[in-house]
Amino acid sequence: MAIYQDNRELIHRLKWLRGAFALLIIVLLVKLWYLTVVRFDHMQAMADRNQIRQLPLVAPRGVITDRNGVVLADSIPAFNLLLFLDEAEDLGATSRFLIQGLKIDAELLAERIAAGSRYAMFRPAVVRENLSMDDIAYVLAHQAEHPELKIFEQPRRRYPLGSLAAHVLGHVGEVSEGELQGETFQEYRPGDIVGKMGLERKYNRELTGRDGYRRVLVNNVGKILEELEVVEPIHGGDLQLTLDADMQRVAEEAIGDSPGAAVALDPTTGEILVLASRPAFDPNLFATRISMNEWRELTENPDHPLQNRTIHNRFSPGSVFKIIVALAGLEQGLVNPSSAVYCNGAVELYGHRFRCWKQGGHGLVSLRTAIQQSCNVYFYLLGQKLGIERISRFSKQVGLGAPTGVDLLGEVSGLVPSEEWKRRTFGTSWHAGETISVAIGQGPIDVTPVQLARAIGVVSTGRNARLHLVQGNGPIERTLTSPFSDENLRPVREAMWSVVNEWGTGRAAKVDGFKVCGKTGTVQMISNATRLRLSEEALERFEPNAWFVGFAPLDDPKVVVAVIVQRGGSGSGAAAPIAGAIFQSYYEKHVKPPKEIPAEFALKNMPEGVSR
Amino acid sequence: MINRRLLSQFDYLLFGATVLLALIGIAGIYSAGGADGSSAYSRQMIWVAVGIAVFLVFAVIDYRLLTDHAYLFYSFGIGLLIAILLFGTEIQGNKSWIKIGGFSFQFSEIVKVFLIITLSRYLAEISNRALTRRNLLYALLIVGFPLALILLQGDLGTAILYFPIAISMLLVAGMRLRVLGILALAALCLSPVGWMVLKDYQKQRILSTFDPSLDPQGIGYQTRQSQIAIGSGGVSGRGYGNGLQSQLGFVPEIHTDFIFALLAEETGLLGGLCILALYFLLLSRLVTIAEEARDRTGILIAAGAVGLLGSHVVVNVGMVLGIMPAVGIPLPLLSYGGSSTISMFAALGLVASVHYRRFLYST
Repeated sequence: MAIYQDNRELIHRLKWLRGAFALLIIVLLVKLWYLTVVRFDHMQAMADRNQIRQLPLVAPRGVITDRNGVVLADSIPAFNLLLFLDEAEDLGATSRFLIQGLKIDAELLAERIAAGSRYAMFRPAVVRENLSMDDIAYVLAHQAEHPELKIFEQPRRRYPLGSLAAHVLGHVGEVSEGELQGETFQEYRPGDIVGKMGLERKYNRELTGRDGYRRVLVNNVGKILEELEVVEPIHGGDLQLTLDADMQRVAEEAIGDSPGAAVALDPTTGEILVLASRPAFDPNLFATRISMNEWRELTENPDHPLQNRTIHNRFSPGSVFKIIVALAGLEQGLVNPSSAVYCNGAVELYGHRFRCWKQGGHGLVSLRTAIQQSCNVYFYLLGQKLGIERISRFSKQVGLGAPTGVDLLGEVSGLVPSEEWKRRTFGTSWHAGETISVAIGQGPIDVTPVQLARAIGVVSTGRNARLHLVQGNGPIERTLTSPFSDENLRPVREAMWSVVNEWGTGRAAKVDGFKVCGKTGTVQMISNATRLRLSEEALERFEPNAWFVGFAPLDDPKVVVAVIVQRGGSGSGAAAPIAGAIFQSYYEKHVKPPKEIPAEFALKNMPEGVSR
Repeated sequence: MINRRLLSQFDYLLFGATVLLALIGIAGIYSAGGADGSSAYSRQMIWVAVGIAVFLVFAVIDYRLLTDHAYLFYSFGIGLLIAILLFGTEIQGNKSWIKIGGFSFQFSEIVKVFLIITLSRYLAEISNRALTRRNLLYALLIVGFPLALILLQGDLGTAILYFPIAISMLLVAGMRLRVLGILALAALCLSPVGWMVLKDYQKQRILSTFDPSLDPQGIGYQTRQSQIAIGSGGVSGRGYGNGLQSQLGFVPEIHTDFIFALLAEETGLLGGLCILALYFLLLSRLVTIAEEARDRTGILIAAGAVGLLGSHVVVNVGMVLGIMPAVGIPLPLLSYGGSSTISMFAALGLVASVHYRRFLYST
């Protein structure tokens, strides 16, 4: 072996090699610098997104109770399945898992994921509400493969009494795309639950709490290691209604399945005790996403269960309108309690023969008999004397033809005709003959049950307070004062008493010990001539609407009731018994002297704090 | 053998830098242990202690004694690799481990050292400057045999990392860059064949380096997470023990292949810079030792060590930073693992021996 080797060439090449590695290490340093300096903010955000998760704590909505504290709507814990979109490594795989494993509708899922991905990164998409125990078990079993799916508690709205007062309460649902764009729900986010109807909608802001959240530190499989921050949700405000759940139930059961409505209110305070509309729906159906079948059933039902007949529908008042006409006549001095008119069953006016409902007529009728027997001829003649303008003016003064302002959305105005209205709407002048029909509540005059109840309230007390459904809801302002003097009101009220308590049309509303006053109405939907041409079956569809309006007791009115039964046949047969049941229930709760209870029994069995 | 001369001629810089890196590794492994409470760091301390002993032994033994028996070592290494194929256990799809007395050994690591010894012996015997084709062929056969066995074990990453060791030594021994180019071209032409041999997960690792979206099974997830860890550490880091991204399990293999991600997250750009600077210091020291080496063999040993250390650092850190395919190779001296730690100490001890015996006179 040579003692000396010239190895300079090798050393030279080795230095080149070192240079090459130096260059590569510089490349590494550049990338290191790029990540830690240039991309620092992004990388930090990504790290936070990995490690810090914001879990929503959904605030329960406020509780809705009736006037006595009976719970009408509350919130119960339920579990929703949330998908954290930013964590999903493969959204396709997650979707397949959900569609196959949990039978989630593919279209619905795509829609919800699309909605979720439009918003802030921490906001998960709700893929299923109200998980069953099976669903929960299934998701937990696959948690390791799908850490992006999380089960979260979200309070669910519950209506313990089912369909009771459904139209008043309304229902809740996920805020819609359209609502988010509108003004009312601006600050809401997709997936939020909002009121959709009734008081839930009207008082949505008050009922909605403020959601809280938990910020937690999680590891790579989503296990929560540490709680960083908790903002507790703030419970939504509670609502106490003026409704009386017991009376409401009595009213709804009395109406039954026939389409109809009932309103009961306290004329001195404006508090609504009953606001019933039948058929109704179960608002619990909407607490989770309603199924297509259930929705179709509700919307395709010819009786429109979603409509609140007390405020959304217009009806001809029929004979109950005679009360207003009678009072207008008295006020204008055109009739007086002692004057009388002869009814021979019909009267010819303006070349047309107007019939009384009673063939052969009522004979000599006073104001009292005219109301008690609902004599048409008496009111045809009075209507002719009054003319449409005066009828219109007095009607409007008791609140007909205008929304009552009750705290529900979508109340309609109804219609009180006038010469000006006819000109404006049809461009023709009012015919005096039309006044004759209006005088008995037929023809172009439409009211809502709640309007009629308010008008009867004015008749019963001479004044009226603002109608409302929520207790303590602002000062009670008097919106209407009676255009009628006490002296004129008294004979009309007494006549209404006789309708129920003497040989009148409203005897079915009589309550022993309670001076119920009222007036029936039977509103024909078709003329007598048409009636003759129709088959028995068809006739059933055109049965007259039945009305009863009234108040009690006579001397110191505490409760006003208005009832309509569509296609009920007659006011005396269909509506009066329902009103009677409502009066009866009021009487038993508030007026009837309590039975003598032996002192020792009472002491033993009375729970504490139930005295009212 | 241990006398004053040994102490005075001992390469403290090489030894110091090596041990310092190993200690940084232990610190990193200790910090990583925080997540699962494992005692990996204490076992690594044992490996480092064994490694230091191996380093000293290799430093004290005359490297020529080893190169004189190079083919014995080579045969022994081949025997080890065959034994693994026969008796090895599979860990993460690779049959490159063997269990002896409760410990798992990866013989392909120590065979790297035997390869350096063998190649330096063979190449040193060639006196002419340019290698002949025959020389090249023989050298490639020397590399190819163990490499084929490691490929049979399914350990692509380790096998590939045999190339830079051999190429470093061949280049220093006089292989023309042009020849390297031809070899690279040949490899490129053969790569479609190789591609077919690759397992699916290996293909995906390579693809996802170039396009993270081509990542249906989340292979690129690992390197993306390690980049997040490093980037979120910023310039000065989150502080020792506070590397949340790493600690919470988002970065995989945090105490082995991805230890650099944890260290960079906790100590930041500055810490990462220090580690890479230490590696470069080590590489430079190896080159300096080669300059002072007594013979060709010593230079080639140093060249092999440069290739081994440099390529592992570049490929591992490159992977962690997301600019190299995710091949599972350890970061020299820092990653947890007995086989790689001891082998690296051995390789550096070998170079220390070259330094120690740099003078012409004999001991």
